[in-house]
Amino acid sequence: MLRNTRRETLVALVLISPFLAIYGLTFVYPTVAMVNLSFTDAPLIGPGQWVGLDNYTRLAGERRFDTAFWNTAYFVALSVIPGTFVAMVIALGVSRLTGRMQALVLALFFLPYILPVSVVYRLWDWTLNFQFGIAMYVFDIWGIERVPIFKTTTWFMPAVAFVTIWWTCGFSILLFLAGLRAIPAEIYEAASLDNTGRWTMFRRITWPLLWPVTALVTTIQLILQLKIFDQVYLFSTGGRPNDNLVLVYYIFQRAFVNNQGGRAAAIAVVLFLIVVIVSVLNFQLMRLAERRK
Amino acid sequence: MTASSARQINLVGGIITLLTLIIAILWAFPIYWGIVSSLKPENEVVRPYIELWPETLTFEHYIFALTETQIGRWYINSIATAVGATILTISTSMLVGYALSQLRFPLRRPLYWLILASFMVPTQTLIINHFVLVANMGLLNTWAGIILPQLINPVVIIVYKQFFDQVPRDFREAAVMDNAGEFRILFKVYMPMNWGVTTALAIVTFIWSWNSFLWPFLAVTKTEMMTITVGITQVSDAFGVYYASQLAAAVLAGLPVALAYLLFQRRVTQAITLSAGIKG
Amino acid sequence: MTNYKVTGSVMLLAGFMSTAAQAEVVVEWWDFLGGGDGVRMKQLIDEFNAEHAGDITIQATTLEWGVPFYTKVQTSVAVGEAPDIMTYHASRIPLAVSQNVLSEITADDWATMGLGEGDFASATWDAVTIDGAQYAVPLDTHPIVLYYNKELLSAAGVLTDDGVPMGMDSLEGFTETMRALQANGVKFPLGSVTADGNFMFRTIYSLVGQQGGELISDGEFLTGDNAEKLTNALAVLQDWTNEGLQSTYTDYPATVALFTSGEAAMMINGVWEVPTMTDLNAAGNLFEWGAVELPMIFDQRATYADSHSFAIPAGDMDPETRAATLEVMSWMLKNSLFWATAGHIPAYGPVTSSAEYAAMEPNATYSPLTANMIFDPKSPLAGVAGPIFDVMSTYFVPTLNGEMDPAEAVEEIIIELNDM
Repeated sequence: MLRNTRRETLVALVLISPFLAIYGLTFVYPTVAMVNLSFTDAPLIGPGQWVGLDNYTRLAGERRFDTAFWNTAYFVALSVIPGTFVAMVIALGVSRLTGRMQALVLALFFLPYILPVSVVYRLWDWTLNFQFGIAMYVFDIWGIERVPIFKTTTWFMPAVAFVTIWWTCGFSILLFLAGLRAIPAEIYEAASLDNTGRWTMFRRITWPLLWPVTALVTTIQLILQLKIFDQVYLFSTGGRPNDNLVLVYYIFQRAFVNNQGGRAAAIAVVLFLIVVIVSVLNFQLMRLAERRK
Repeated sequence: MTASSARQINLVGGIITLLTLIIAILWAFPIYWGIVSSLKPENEVVRPYIELWPETLTFEHYIFALTETQIGRWYINSIATAVGATILTISTSMLVGYALSQLRFPLRRPLYWLILASFMVPTQTLIINHFVLVANMGLLNTWAGIILPQLINPVVIIVYKQFFDQVPRDFREAAVMDNAGEFRILFKVYMPMNWGVTTALAIVTFIWSWNSFLWPFLAVTKTEMMTITVGITQVSDAFGVYYASQLAAAVLAGLPVALAYLLFQRRVTQAITLSAGIKG
Repeated sequence: MTNYKVTGSVMLLAGFMSTAAQAEVVVEWWDFLGGGDGVRMKQLIDEFNAEHAGDITIQATTLEWGVPFYTKVQTSVAVGEAPDIMTYHASRIPLAVSQNVLSEITADDWATMGLGEGDFASATWDAVTIDGAQYAVPLDTHPIVLYYNKELLSAAGVLTDDGVPMGMDSLEGFTETMRALQANGVKFPLGSVTADGNFMFRTIYSLVGQQGGELISDGEFLTGDNAEKLTNALAVLQDWTNEGLQSTYTDYPATVALFTSGEAAMMINGVWEVPTMTDLNAAGNLFEWGAVELPMIFDQRATYADSHSFAIPAGDMDPETRAATLEVMSWMLKNSLFWATAGHIPAYGPVTSSAEYAAMEPNATYSPLTANMIFDPKSPLAGVAGPIFDVMSTYFVPTLNGEMDPAEAVEEIIIELNDM
């Protein structure tokens, strides 16, 4: 078939121009500006002096940067794999149900996902409140000592990770359910004729066939959780934010609270690079795992 | 298979089902608990024992939230910005998706790779320069300012491209034979075949935008321009006891989308799986 | 896009209305006053608006107290989106001036308002003055006080005949009072905001002041025996925690709830909670209560206080709006007797020297403490939710809840303060 190349190019240009305009304005330009800013001592708004790599070298010895970096890593470790695991287990349970029952149970699991983060914060802050939270009354009944969950450094990150899993799990559950549905029933039927046990069936059939979904869910989670801010910010209010810093929070603190745009931009560039590197590594790892199958 | 082993499997299966049910109820319990607490007077809320149903049922906190805070304004701001972001994202992404899928033009591949790559890039790191940009454009405290940085959404483009890729070639060739222009082909042939995708992507984009916190939190300094997600964190009167009234505001904030979800559960479910590139 | 249309038509409408109403000046107002004192401030604003109908309207916005408020102020001034008037903690003024956030209140402005140095206590006037220039108009002084539940104290036999707690003049005495309450089955003799280091700064600073210590001397942090005094202050509070006399990991609302629900017999909190108690009591939902000056734990009396003031953000402002803003400030001060029902001590002298004010309760009970008030050090690093607050509060929480040794905490605090 004949193609009118020049005309097609022109049409394509028209079609992509609104996108290009937005993309240039809200993505390319801010990225370049951010890198630029990170080499200056500028405040949030206004010009600054060129300071070279100062903002970066300072990060090396900073306590707050250290806290933020390790907290972020810790949070990712606590939320990505456990979150995927929980979602898979729940999806396996839900997939056994049928009809209205399944719709109802699925709704219960999915409901948190569509709640705004501030609502999630209010609900859990209340449920786990040290003095009046219902969870603490349950602790009392069972004779467990009360824990001031969002006020201690030991419990803060695990608790926020738990709440995050509760909140976002619905999304992953749906993906797993779709993946489970895509596995043909005949395979299970054939296996059950062979009198295969439940666990073997899962290991031999479900797990390998579900692998692409598992990989997808972990990847989405990983990229998402590295950028954690909302929950940590909200749960730290009225507590001890400096102990709970994560990288995006630290960017916010430097830029908007301390009014140090340049130093904040340096942290942003570092996070930017971390996310890109982790994404690329993750991509390669997933491909490797795929090939080995 | 022997009868006893079959029964055993059924027993195990039954236990798993029961466990799933119990966990589901526990899972949703904090939502129930939040709602119940918001219906109690403040002095009952802090009683030192569990009360699963209010002794005194009161709507005072809802009346407070509706009359004493600007929650009405926040709803309007949330709806306006979420709808605006959805329409703009969908329309621009659709065009790009179509161009990437159906047209041949220079730099097509690099463009596609760029879009794929930007999926990984954290927009959260750009908050500083988004703030500077929006401030310089004079768009702080406006709907446009809240919407603008939310428009980077490569997932929508990628999904559109994938779906347009699957439309059989014959349709396009027939249309080209008829001398139809590209816009005609897009809107008369490709869009109608993919309405499901468009609704699904619209639902997902809407939920994301409605729930976004960090950017609206930064871009707005005036209470009357806040979105509901940000606004309810401001209801917190700094002093006194106010658990129930905070929860009431939270329930009001979560309610519309929760109701919409319960009404259109099937559609939302499809939308989510579709947005991840899995066909449900 | 639609937004522009809406804004356009609103502006059109506003323009139309303003010609009809003879150019009413709108003063945009920001405050951080939630809760009981916020309600009273809203009443004052309504009154002002009613009295100035047709001339001036205050359009008030209440933002979240503390870091969020000052963050918004700072960024909005930077981008020219600031309000016309805002409430400001006097302790934050040095920081604000160093960041060019505030506009000076000139001698002409004072004359226009009909106010002057003579109307204020010298410490209050000094708190808003930097290098001889004023940057805010003080509205009140608000110290922290000790709230107490008369019923619980009397049941434990630690209420004097005058209806105040026993043992208010020594560490031993006060600890004994708490022990008596504990022995009598009270869960928390003292409710403290132990989860929020920012808040505890007030109590701890008071205790440092009771030993005559200071945070900054000649631009250096915690020199000489000041570090030891801070350690002493922390140690006292930690001892109370270890003995179970004080509520642990309690955030602000929980502290108030513990007190009002009778689980905590006493509470150290700002005078701004007075309206909460008054309102609950009037509705029949609260026991008999009182508020007194903090106990003397060390060798002299001292209580931390700060001052709410009104400030005008830096930036261009048309003369009409500025005049209206000055009128707002002047009116608020002259009508601040009502503000005293919010627990605060009005800054405007003629109000505090009036007979009505002298008869007001519980203000009259705790007003002797005005002689012993200490303020934040005057430094750009100090002030509510400022850098010093921030650093110290990080270490207060673990120390007060028994996770960290006081001496170790002070060491860390000094390292971080010098690292700022």
